[in-house]
Amino acid sequence: MARESLVISTLVELADNLVDDYDVIDVLTVLSDRCVETVDVDAAGVMLAWPGGELQFVASSSDSMRVLELFQIQVDEGPCVDCYRDGQPIVNHMLGSDNDRWPRFTPRAIELGFTSVNCVPLRLRGRTIGALNFFSSHEGLLTVEDVVVARGFADVATIAILQHQSSQNANTLNDQLSNALNSRIIIEQAKGMIRQATDSGMDEAFDRMRAHARNHNEGLTEVAIAVVSNSIDPVALDVLKPKKH
Amino acid sequence: MAEHGARGDVARSLCSVAAEITELDGAAISLASEGNEMTTLCISNDFARTLMDLEITLREGPAFEASAGGVVVQDVDLSSPSAPQWMMYASQAAAAGAGAVFGFPVRIGAASFGALSLYREDPGQLSDAQMSDAYLMASVIARAVLTMQAGSPIGELAEELHGQSGLDFRVHQAAGMVAVQGSMSVRTALVLIRTHAFAEAMEISLLAEQIISRSTRFDHDTDSWVAGTGSKGST
Repeated sequence: MARESLVISTLVELADNLVDDYDVIDVLTVLSDRCVETVDVDAAGVMLAWPGGELQFVASSSDSMRVLELFQIQVDEGPCVDCYRDGQPIVNHMLGSDNDRWPRFTPRAIELGFTSVNCVPLRLRGRTIGALNFFSSHEGLLTVEDVVVARGFADVATIAILQHQSSQNANTLNDQLSNALNSRIIIEQAKGMIRQATDSGMDEAFDRMRAHARNHNEGLTEVAIAVVSNSIDPVALDVLKPKKH
Repeated sequence: MAEHGARGDVARSLCSVAAEITELDGAAISLASEGNEMTTLCISNDFARTLMDLEITLREGPAFEASAGGVVVQDVDLSSPSAPQWMMYASQAAAAGAGAVFGFPVRIGAASFGALSLYREDPGQLSDAQMSDAYLMASVIARAVLTMQAGSPIGELAEELHGQSGLDFRVHQAAGMVAVQGSMSVRTALVLIRTHAFAEAMEISLLAEQIISRSTRFDHDTDSWVAGTGSKGST
């Protein structure tokens, strides 16, 4: 598929997801996956900030991406941290070219096979609420078009968070952020329960919740809440079947 | 449950700080049992004490609802007759001098610890800045309560609240595993993991890793931590 039509069909797919009762973590995970397919990068992920400014990982396209995002939060250093704090994009930063900028982050990223990073802030009415990060493990820089598409994805991510009807009461941005961040924590707690109950890996536990949500037309967070409140037995969750195209 | 000594001081200062940074007239922190029975942890002043006592007596109000529902709740004009959310509470709180009340859940993921209540004499919405500060306080309080319930020393608590660390995802995953191992809630598992980490003087993230890799587990029968069987399945 030509690049342009791929971008369009992806945005249409994401827009389709943003109707009725969507799950914000699920949408952001799909968005991360699509970023990898349409922008010339190998991993993508979304971080959001708590109302107090603390960053938290919420979605990513791959496991190594998640590891790196968590590492940045731990050491309080890295492209996503800078991008969020400055509210400015980081474009085509070559890792290893400038070791001093992130002395702890850079060696870890290189160890995981990444060579360059890009980051676009998620901004709304002058406030930065998080960042969309892209990591590449191959030669080659993002083109001007890539960067435009990346910004488009960042806008879609912001809309997904903002539009989400998370609570019946004060539907403020803080509420929506706080709910999205808390959903991710509940999902991690549920993953632990599934791992223990079914002797599976953490990724498999996540995939099972996602598959169950899809098959039963429920939200990912809804399924996670059902697991942690013991209203669904982890053993009874659907198993992910290979996709047929 | 009354909080005495240094721990009580920490709790009281959390309440005072909550009222101060949000520039409101009173703040209270209440703790919820697993069955959502509420008890007062601390109050910032007599105004807050009156309102919290009222809520506990009537078993309805912002703290109950925020804690049970895990959502922020508010009544920005208690004197307004238009469908009050809490029939009894609204009129009695208004009679006690409250114009607006706000409830913020104190929670970590699925683990609900209680609520932060904020009170104002005048009716009206919170500003964006007050909202942000209240959210921030609620998340700080959640960590403080978890740390207090794990019986950790006060010094550790200060350190905990100071750092950017929060709780990393491994701790949440480990809490899920321990919840199943011990047939307990995720909330109890979080407290138990923290307690064990302090007792063994080990980093909580390291303990979490051991739980995830199954080299440590909680034994339900003996109610104690034992060496596990090692890793089964990928993490």
